[in-house]
Amino acid sequence: MNKVDTISAPHPKGYYPPGDFAIWFFIYAELLAFGVFFVTYAFARTYNVEMFNASQLELNRTAGAINTVLLITSSYFVIRAVAAIREDQQNLCVKWLFAAIFLGGMFLVVKIIEFKAKFAAGISLSTNTFYTFYFSMTVFHFMHVILGMIILGAVMLKARRGGYSSQEHTGVETGASYWHMVDLVWIILFPLVYVIR
Amino acid sequence: MQYQSQAVAKPYFIAALGLFAGQILFGLIMGLQYVMGDFLFPEIPFNVARMVHTNLLIVWLLFGFMGAAYYMVPEESEREIHSPKLALALFWIFLIAGALTIVGYLAVPYATLAKITGNDLLPTMGREFLEQPTITKIGIVIVVLGFLFNITMTVLKGRKTVVSSVMLIGFWGLAIFFLFSFYNPENLVLDKYFWWWVVHLWVEGVWELILGSILAFVLIKVTGVDREVIEKWLYIIIAMTLITGIIGTGHHYYWIGAPEYWQVLGSIFSALEPIPFFMMAVFAFNMVNQRRREHPNKAATLWALGTAVMAFLGAGVWGFLHTLAPVNFYTHGSQITAAHGHMAFYGAYVMIVLCIISYSMPLMRGRAAANPPKAQVVEMWAFWVMTISMVFITLFLTGAGILQIWLQRMGDTPMSFMAGQDQIALFYWLREIAGVGFLIGLITYFISFFVGGEEQAS
Amino acid sequence: MSEMFTKSMARNMFYGGSVFFFLLFLGLTFDTMSVLPERDHRENITPEVARGKMVWEVNNCVGCHSLMGEGAYFAPELANVYNRFGNSKDAIIGFIKSRPVDGIPGRRSMPQFNLSDDDLNAVAEFLKWTSEIDDAGWPPNIQG
Repeated sequence: MNKVDTISAPHPKGYYPPGDFAIWFFIYAELLAFGVFFVTYAFARTYNVEMFNASQLELNRTAGAINTVLLITSSYFVIRAVAAIREDQQNLCVKWLFAAIFLGGMFLVVKIIEFKAKFAAGISLSTNTFYTFYFSMTVFHFMHVILGMIILGAVMLKARRGGYSSQEHTGVETGASYWHMVDLVWIILFPLVYVIR
Repeated sequence: MQYQSQAVAKPYFIAALGLFAGQILFGLIMGLQYVMGDFLFPEIPFNVARMVHTNLLIVWLLFGFMGAAYYMVPEESEREIHSPKLALALFWIFLIAGALTIVGYLAVPYATLAKITGNDLLPTMGREFLEQPTITKIGIVIVVLGFLFNITMTVLKGRKTVVSSVMLIGFWGLAIFFLFSFYNPENLVLDKYFWWWVVHLWVEGVWELILGSILAFVLIKVTGVDREVIEKWLYIIIAMTLITGIIGTGHHYYWIGAPEYWQVLGSIFSALEPIPFFMMAVFAFNMVNQRRREHPNKAATLWALGTAVMAFLGAGVWGFLHTLAPVNFYTHGSQITAAHGHMAFYGAYVMIVLCIISYSMPLMRGRAAANPPKAQVVEMWAFWVMTISMVFITLFLTGAGILQIWLQRMGDTPMSFMAGQDQIALFYWLREIAGVGFLIGLITYFISFFVGGEEQAS
Repeated sequence: MSEMFTKSMARNMFYGGSVFFFLLFLGLTFDTMSVLPERDHRENITPEVARGKMVWEVNNCVGCHSLMGEGAYFAPELANVYNRFGNSKDAIIGFIKSRPVDGIPGRRSMPQFNLSDDDLNAVAEFLKWTSEIDDAGWPPNIQG
């Protein structure tokens, strides 16, 4: 079996979706929660388009764009980590996971700077409906990034102890699935709240 | 019965059922007062009847939960209860304190009760569902702490299972959140905000852990499905419960002075609250379909399926009906809330207690595995009569609520509260008739305990 | 399907999810506490208002009435009763005072509580303060 085959070969146990199915309950529920958030946001916006647009202009789109790049890149790193463990390259897997977690940390730093600027300007959850949504969704997502980093961190520690192999690496796939969800939500959240007018 | 000390559950269950009967009687009194305003006035004014009705419900459910724990934990931990004597002593303390409180409600005016129990020293009385005198509340804390000690010691010393740990977490949460009932600030908004930490985080939080663990226990017993499978489901269901239910508290914060972002957060998360109830219904039916044995106790299986379905309908569907803030703006504080409350409490908590009683009572009464088939038939009749009556109570209250909102809160010339109430009297009469139906079901249920006949081999 | 996930993962989800959302709830509560003073006008809670809340509680008013929609639904909503009675404390006091001891034949009636003048004034002050809480425009109209 050559290398390419190994990477694209179906999961040894041959089931789908990847990872532990319990995480998919969680992922579906989270996507549902965010989905309802997005739909409610769209409805709330139609009642007061001008106010939403005006407040939207006050957001830091550069910070949002940087964060989008950071999360997409970290998602790629997680993919590399899964590919690495499928080839039994445990050290490589740990390195990719560390890189992904590091970018997650960078995301948090950028976000904290953004939040600080907002709080310094006296803006909070109660400022107006737009900011209720902005803070609810971004803080909620922010906490998911932290949780995702904790999960990836736990996976990384186990990988470093040699807890995974090409035969058994459900944990890596589980963590990766969750991290992709966190990324996916941001990819929708960023254009919806920061850009689309 | 595998362990001697499981028998302490018996007095708990008997007391629970006795108080249940009291609750229903006072419910009927209130229902009549809705249409005959001067019924028993001024001897038992509505507020007193309501206090008795709701407090009896809470107390008998607690008796039922504790009885369930005393029955389940020895089998789960594979050892006797740490101290059966303590369990029995706490039973009598709780029963006497509860009875004295109810007598206090009925014998003297509430203000007098407040005075003689020293409410001035630590005012906690006079808030919905927390009407108990402060000294009774302290008594409840002592009883629950003693109970927790007893159960925790048993669990720690024995086999640790998911069912018993989830139940234990539920009871510890129950005790911790009850402490907020002692916080009664002068500021009404703060008072209401943290009052929900007792009420919501009980019934839409930690109580659901107790419900889930009892349901899991009964399903393991009656279906014979592998414990591993059932315990996994239990974890997933209660995880969803808390994930949706904790922020779901926000649906109580729309109109009590809390910031308006709760309208968004409360709507979104409480809209997801039906999910765990739906999963519970799917889970219960799945397990029964995959059963590996034919347990002779058909009635217990029926209660287990019934509680999953009715909890989904009452808590899930009827809760969702009025949980979104734009809808709740009109339905808040109307008979719609009463409709939801009745079916949710019956479906989720009354039925699960009756379920564990149905499963365990025959064993504690020395029967091999189940009641004789004749007794089970009567019990299943009682199940259907009570459940259908409750469905009708809920439907009539929903009808009353829709009309109330239409007459009193919409349109250009809204009616006054009392004028609107006169218009919907028919629905209150129908509700009262359905309530009598429920009482008939309850009497049938009691009769089922005394039906003899041939025992079925296990 | 149940073979597809492990018990330990389900357990982690339960503990992780609960802690996550409880922390979120605490954070939101913290924010709520900082916003509340602007909405509840706590600077207007005089000793009379505080006493009025006590009178409200020790007579179990919430056993029949609702206040900001919470309580029983047997008698009218009282969060806006001050406005409904023409912004008049005297009207509230007069109503409570004049309840017949033996009720009204065939109809619902509020009991006669025999409150002292100080208590009557206090409970009216409490209801006036309550009517001024910013409760997001609830109830929908003056009838409550």
